[in-house]
Amino acid sequence: MRHPAAMIAAIGLATLGPASTAHAQESLGSGITMYFQMGGNPGDGSTLPRTNGARAAAASFGVKLVEQYSGWQPEVMLKHFREAVAASPACIEIMGHPGNEAFAPLVADAVKSGIVVTSGNSPLSKLQNMYGANGFGYAGVDLYDGGKLTAQKMIEYGLRAQAERGKSDQGLYDTLKAAGLQVDYIEISPEVDHDSSLAVPILTAYLQKHPDVKAIGTQHGNVTAFIGKALEQAGKKPGAVTAGGIDLAPATIEGLKRGYVSVVLDQQLYLQGFLPVAQCVLSKKYGFAGLSTNTGAGVVTPKTIGGLVPLIDKGIR
Amino acid sequence: MTEAAPKEPAARSFRHVVRLEKVDMTFGKVQALSNVDFKVGRNEIVGLLGDNGAGKSTLIKIVSGVLRPTSGNVWVRDLAVNLEHYSVRKAHDLRIETVHQGQTLDEKQPLWRNLFVGRQITGRLGFIDVKKEKEIADHLLRRAIGFRGHGITAESTVRDLSGGERQGIAIARAMYFEADLIVLDEPTTALAVSEVRKVLAFVEGVKAGGRACIYIEHNLAHAHEVADRLVILDRGRVVGQFEKGEINLADLTARMIALHEGRTNAGA
Amino acid sequence: MRGPESARSRFLRTEGLPIIGVLLALVIVFMIAAPDVFLGYRIYMSFLATVPPLLVLAAALTLLVAAGEIDLSFPSVIALSGWVLAYFTHVLGSPWMGLVLALTAGAVVGWLNGIIVARIGVPSIIATLATQFLWGGLTTVFSQGLSYSMGEVDQYFLWHLLVGRIGAFPVQALWSLALAAVLWLVLNRHRFGEHLLFIGDNARVAEVVGVNVGREKIRAFVLMGVMAAFASVLLTFENRSFFNTQGGGYLLGVMAAVFIGGTSVFGGRASLVGTVAGSFIIGMVEAGLVATGLQGFWVRAVVGVVFLAAVIGHILIEEPERRSAFVRALRGRFDLVRKSSPGGGSTERRGAR
Repeated sequence: MRHPAAMIAAIGLATLGPASTAHAQESLGSGITMYFQMGGNPGDGSTLPRTNGARAAAASFGVKLVEQYSGWQPEVMLKHFREAVAASPACIEIMGHPGNEAFAPLVADAVKSGIVVTSGNSPLSKLQNMYGANGFGYAGVDLYDGGKLTAQKMIEYGLRAQAERGKSDQGLYDTLKAAGLQVDYIEISPEVDHDSSLAVPILTAYLQKHPDVKAIGTQHGNVTAFIGKALEQAGKKPGAVTAGGIDLAPATIEGLKRGYVSVVLDQQLYLQGFLPVAQCVLSKKYGFAGLSTNTGAGVVTPKTIGGLVPLIDKGIR
Repeated sequence: MTEAAPKEPAARSFRHVVRLEKVDMTFGKVQALSNVDFKVGRNEIVGLLGDNGAGKSTLIKIVSGVLRPTSGNVWVRDLAVNLEHYSVRKAHDLRIETVHQGQTLDEKQPLWRNLFVGRQITGRLGFIDVKKEKEIADHLLRRAIGFRGHGITAESTVRDLSGGERQGIAIARAMYFEADLIVLDEPTTALAVSEVRKVLAFVEGVKAGGRACIYIEHNLAHAHEVADRLVILDRGRVVGQFEKGEINLADLTARMIALHEGRTNAGA
Repeated sequence: MRGPESARSRFLRTEGLPIIGVLLALVIVFMIAAPDVFLGYRIYMSFLATVPPLLVLAAALTLLVAAGEIDLSFPSVIALSGWVLAYFTHVLGSPWMGLVLALTAGAVVGWLNGIIVARIGVPSIIATLATQFLWGGLTTVFSQGLSYSMGEVDQYFLWHLLVGRIGAFPVQALWSLALAAVLWLVLNRHRFGEHLLFIGDNARVAEVVGVNVGREKIRAFVLMGVMAAFASVLLTFENRSFFNTQGGGYLLGVMAAVFIGGTSVFGGRASLVGTVAGSFIIGMVEAGLVATGLQGFWVRAVVGVVFLAAVIGHILIEEPERRSAFVRALRGRFDLVRKSSPGGGSTERRGAR
């Protein structure tokens, strides 16, 4: 019988090495291993820049980076955290989707064994307060403000189900309501969360049912990518409906260029990859406390997109 | 022989081991059997003949509890059968065993399972006494028809057996459970000549042992040789019955051909 | 009759030997490639905490596949039963009630599946896909899209009973292995298991030998539902959270575990030992690959290759007609190649047969 074992052994041994390794001279992070939860699936629009940022930082510092992809599923994130702790790395980076309560006992154990835990993309405020001194930082958008920021023109989509993550939609929603707009809230199904092209028919149906819709808004990166398509399919002219979203997936850029998408919160995902690695090295080596960095500094519009395109193509912006 | 499942007492006297009266069987629009009266005497071999699609298999599936007739009555050992509760298991309890054509053993399963499935030797809670089943299976193998001993054991899978060996096992199973009525559906198909002789001898042995047999055969010569009575089915109806000696093989053959042609001409 | 079997050939016939071999080989490869992780005990404790739900699901599914059916609705049972458990534990404060009702919910889902498949006649792959959507959607409705944090749940004895720790050892591993053992006994030594095997092998034969096909199928679906609910309890308690979307990620992993383990996709033959080994392989492989430094992008591709290789390997071993057909096809190819090469390959004869 042909042994799958032989195949696995071959692949396993042959691919040792593509991971980042220490440089010849002593780099700041040499000897440090970091487990990094990237969030979505390898290569997808809201994950790739983070991956690239983390890899770049790891290469510069000489850190060994271990990437984990959870498809945005909270229970998988927890599982990955356990596996990471069992590997006793120097640092672990997590995201807030599972919530403070779920992570609390696990993080407590990790910190007790001397692992630096830090976070990104969506915050874990409670844990950040507890373990800031141990290097627990945050590199991501200040969600409420981010949503508020995006909400200058729109109606939203959201992920209310996930703990703090839902705050961004809340920010969006509240701001629009406060501006006197009537706001309809549509929850994203797990299918759309996973495969956002499925949002197109849903949006198209909504647009046809409510022809006088003025704006569509979301804080889900992959769904943003498909708003332009939905508007096109519903027969809207560019700019007739104000669309706002987040992140710069290739389709979103198209949408910006063609004017279907009006404003996109740029959460500068690359920094969400780069900064936690730096945090890890500095906290591990010198005991610095966790830093909170708001990576969502501004929005990208059709006017400003041009200059960013070359960087976007490289998966940096 | 070791004990088998609990059964109806065999000692009571009765005239017919099974009797069907005015039985109809419809499948959707297809009328498989129409107004069939059929009986088998206590110690009688009945040969059931007919073309493909005449309804023979349907008839015996009713006798063996697989199918419930659309209408009509069934008696076993002269006692009316409650058709609502009649099933294969009940038929087994009533000492009716059937060797169905082709599909009566599961290919991937070992012999010892095939022998006892549906009436396993179990302890409390339904757990099977595997050791005992294997023992009995081994014992049976030595007596079964068609085995030349090439290393077939109770553990062997049915798939490893030839057509004749499978037939032999199916018949051995029916024998083991000591039926009063054995139904054989085309038992000689796929058998070598010597094995066919053994099957016919077995059928005669059933009669010698005081039991009954329903015997479906395409080979008219075999049927004619062993049957006490021949019943001919055509398109779901009984179209002829002959006691032993009432018809010779040549006439029987002619009759069957005529029936077949009648069907073909009628565009059946 | 064969002579007495040597100890060696009896060992070789041990159930699940090939896949256990693969599991051990995998562990050894990981130990060599990532010694800092795989030579310590912690990673194994981590697996023993996360593999049990997968194992319970795969074990129950094995029985159903043996009967020739499939169930795609269990991810929604994980969500539904998880919600029931979380609601009763976290909101109402009665975890035992939550456990009983969660298992009941699983039984109801299973029973409905069974009815649709066995009494109405819808093929199970379609029926259970539909019920997956139904129950998943209902769970979202019941829970209003919310997730629950159950940080306080470790105060309950039930929690410790099901997912507590003995030292570093996760108790759920014991529960899941015990369940797998019971299911092995049921499949291989119980009337019910034998009926499932016969139904999966050839349902028409099963019918004529006296197996009540419809009733046994329904029972198998109910069993699957209850086991899926139990897996959900283990998962939800271990995570101390109910996530609205929980369960979705398990569908492919559980199927992979069952089929890598050697259970026949055609029904009639199943190996619970194989499923247990397959579950550990699936549960470990991702963590192992990333620990060895394989870039994250490669992981799914490698898992796919392992899955395919294992399933093809099993078919070629267990279905001899396919194996000989495959070998014949290969030989045919090689003969063509030889014949077309210059120098007259066509006069070659095949070796003595």
